[in-house]
Amino acid sequence: MKLFLKFDLNTAYKKILQEQLDKHTSDYALVSFGEVDINDSVSSEQLKELYAQLSSYGFEVVESNKSILIQKIKDTIVEMIFMEDDLPATKISSYLANKLNHSYGYLANVFSEVTYTTIENFIILQRIERAKQLLITNQLTLTEIAWKLSYSSVAHLSTQFKNTTGLTPTVFQRIINKRRKVFGEGKTEEPDAE
Amino acid sequence: MNEVIHILLADDDEDDRLFFKDAFKEIKVKTVVHIVNDGVELMNHLLKEDITLPHILFLDLNMPRKSGIECLTEIKKIPHLKEIPISIYSTSASDEDIEETFVKGANVYIKKPSDFSTLKKILTQVITVNWQYHTSGLNRDTFLLSI
Amino acid sequence: MNFRKIFSSSVFLKSIFIISISILIFISSISYKHSVSLNDSSKWLTHSYKVHLELEQLITNLKSAESGQHGFIITQDTVFLTPYNTAKKEINISFSNLKKILADNKKQVSNLDFLNSLTTSRLKLLELALNLSSEKPFNKVLLGETMLLGNEVMLKIDKRVDQMIDLEMQYLKERRAKYENEISFTPIGTLFILLFSLLVFIFSYYKMNKDLLNLTKSNKELLIKTESFNHAEEIGGFSSWQWDLKTNKLIYSKNNYKLLGYEPEAFMPTLENFFDLIHPDDKDIILENRKKILNTNLSTNINFRIIRKDGSIRHWVSMSKLLIDSNSLKIRIGINRDITEQYLNNIALEEKNIALERGNKELATFNHAASHDLQEPLRKIQIFISRIVESKTSNLSETDTEYFARIQSAANRMRVLIDDLLLFSRTNKAEKVFEKTDLNILLENATQELAQVIEEKNAVLEAAELPKLNVIPFQIQQLFINLIGNSLKYSKKDITPVIKINCKKIMGWDEPTLKLDAAKIYYKISVKDNGLGFEQQYAESIFTLFQRLHQDSEYSGTGIGLSICKKIVENHNGFISAEGKPGKGATFNIWLPV
Repeated sequence: MKLFLKFDLNTAYKKILQEQLDKHTSDYALVSFGEVDINDSVSSEQLKELYAQLSSYGFEVVESNKSILIQKIKDTIVEMIFMEDDLPATKISSYLANKLNHSYGYLANVFSEVTYTTIENFIILQRIERAKQLLITNQLTLTEIAWKLSYSSVAHLSTQFKNTTGLTPTVFQRIINKRRKVFGEGKTEEPDAE
Repeated sequence: MNEVIHILLADDDEDDRLFFKDAFKEIKVKTVVHIVNDGVELMNHLLKEDITLPHILFLDLNMPRKSGIECLTEIKKIPHLKEIPISIYSTSASDEDIEETFVKGANVYIKKPSDFSTLKKILTQVITVNWQYHTSGLNRDTFLLSI
Repeated sequence: MNFRKIFSSSVFLKSIFIISISILIFISSISYKHSVSLNDSSKWLTHSYKVHLELEQLITNLKSAESGQHGFIITQDTVFLTPYNTAKKEINISFSNLKKILADNKKQVSNLDFLNSLTTSRLKLLELALNLSSEKPFNKVLLGETMLLGNEVMLKIDKRVDQMIDLEMQYLKERRAKYENEISFTPIGTLFILLFSLLVFIFSYYKMNKDLLNLTKSNKELLIKTESFNHAEEIGGFSSWQWDLKTNKLIYSKNNYKLLGYEPEAFMPTLENFFDLIHPDDKDIILENRKKILNTNLSTNINFRIIRKDGSIRHWVSMSKLLIDSNSLKIRIGINRDITEQYLNNIALEEKNIALERGNKELATFNHAASHDLQEPLRKIQIFISRIVESKTSNLSETDTEYFARIQSAANRMRVLIDDLLLFSRTNKAEKVFEKTDLNILLENATQELAQVIEEKNAVLEAAELPKLNVIPFQIQQLFINLIGNSLKYSKKDITPVIKINCKKIMGWDEPTLKLDAAKIYYKISVKDNGLGFEQQYAESIFTLFQRLHQDSEYSGTGIGLSICKKIVENHNGFISAEGKPGKGATFNIWLPV
């Protein structure tokens, strides 16, 4: 049996975080997505325990400011590409700079310094990720996907898809379909919180 | 990427093992490369109790005793191993081979390149993309990369 | 055949004879009836005359008795009484005669009875008058009265006799009319019937004669046919047999004996002795077939072996069918054919085919393995060179660097060649799985593969609607990739490359210059570009393996791409051709059968 799930990342995130935090302190506040304020009275040992428990859910506590910034850049990009149906008309670079209150040059530098990849590459990776998702779950045609993800042409999408995955969209689709048959229960998630 | 990345390679060709090791020496990512000489050795290694599971496994297809495809199929049946990303690392790259290994659960297919700088470039790309899948919440089920 | 005609004509003849005989019987019966009625008629005539005569006689006797009496009364001479006395006797005789003659006619009998009573009273009156006249003196008045009464009675007698005669005449007349009526038809009818019979006989004679001629002719034809059939059997190496399913009788043609290794008619064929000649391993086949023959009306076709008289084993194929005719005849007729030579040839051919297939497979495996295994050391050579060249620590002179660059370029070229050869050998591989595929999808896949080059060159692809065909999908996709890739590769730098893909449905005969199957439907798919083109004289040779038109390294290829196209199209029983004009562009046409 195959289950195709749709879930709200935000809700899951909040629920798990609250559950874990409640075990150690009641004095905390969820500031924004990916940010928590905790009362200083919590001991460092308790904190360690909390990190360990959170990590079992895939949560990672980022410590340095740079790491936080990178996480924010990533979140903003992912949010832009995944959460919104249509991409904003403004360029991603200015959108990022605006939203995070840093110059784009600074953001790009920090990003490649820490991740060994560029913001542009990360954006392409995420867009192709989104394209893959649309190909598999929504069964959209390439033309529709190219339009939805604001590609200038189908050829451009195909080229980028091929450059990123080494496969054409059609072959990709075929492989995933075959793989689902081989492994039976395909664990397909759709983190598409609307 | 401040963490050390664990890499496992299974390849029976001495020269290729050398190239692989040398390439990672020159790549500026922090890695620990462990190498086994064939499929049987690979499975023995993976089934040991006290090892750190690799972040990615590079698997040659054409190996004596146990082929890459056999290893791939076996690994995908073992619950605690099946989540390891697997990169095929092979001389030939026919469309059929690529498709077959992907369908059987491989994530990356590398056609061994014919010059060293390309090899470094490719391995870097694989490591970083794989890292993205580790850290950026990408869907691992649709992680396919053919280089 | 004539068989049926003759058969039906014999039925016809039989019915003609039956008709003729019935006509003859009819005529005879009519003639008999006619003579009988003639006889009757004359008898009745005599009868009437006799009555007439007898009645006349009666009257005459009465008159002579009367005149005798008169004479006696006048003369009183007894001589006159003699006629009277004889008359009395005569009258009695007449009456008894008349009674006999008229016995079968009631009306005349009653008339006669009445006449008899009248005559008796007349005679009594005569006697009374006689007695009165002999009394002396006689009573004149009484005598006169008696005689007057006598006269009256006499008149009545006359009248009655006349009546009787009239009646008799009337009977006669009626009979005559009836008789005449009867015989008036007889002569014409008889003549007519006779003529008709004559016609029938003439016709039957003609018909019989003709049938006889036909029969002779058919016999002759049958003889020739039988002979030519025997001849055909001998030359064709087959024979025929008949098996009467009712009597279980078998008949063999001459050649059947020969095929069994015997002289014609050398033995009486039976089911048993044929069974003895069957190869022991194939006896079950025969038994099974006999069961089928006896229980069903189906035609049969079996292969088995027989052992000839000289002990040699021959392969036969036997076919039979049931013949049922209107006389509920049930015969199996069959043909045996000695296919030993064919069988042996087939086996030889099959062996050759297997060997050929094996050879082909080995060649393909060799090709594949060779190119695959060649890749490995080549790649290592390349990597080692690249490491030397890229190494910052090695001190290479300028010439060394130059030489290494040349080695690298040669090695690269070898690598591309091996890759293409590998692709070519894959196109050649034995396993060809045909699937009904939408060519539009394959073209779409091909453009996806080429997306990067298309984008780089800013090329425009215009594709018409393509059909769904039974093809080897990945090969046709490769074909599109190679052809479009070819067009992109040889595009002109200064203008936008435009590649037009068209499709047209045609019949084989529309393209008489090609060796197309005339009655088959083909799709003609053309890939047309506005690139560099080529001299038409090279239109054939560009499909040859390793053939290249451009020595220029910029347009270097391995010369395998188009050979692969040709191979792919041939795998699909199609054709490929190229048209080119230098500086104008090239068109590649593909014909794929439906």
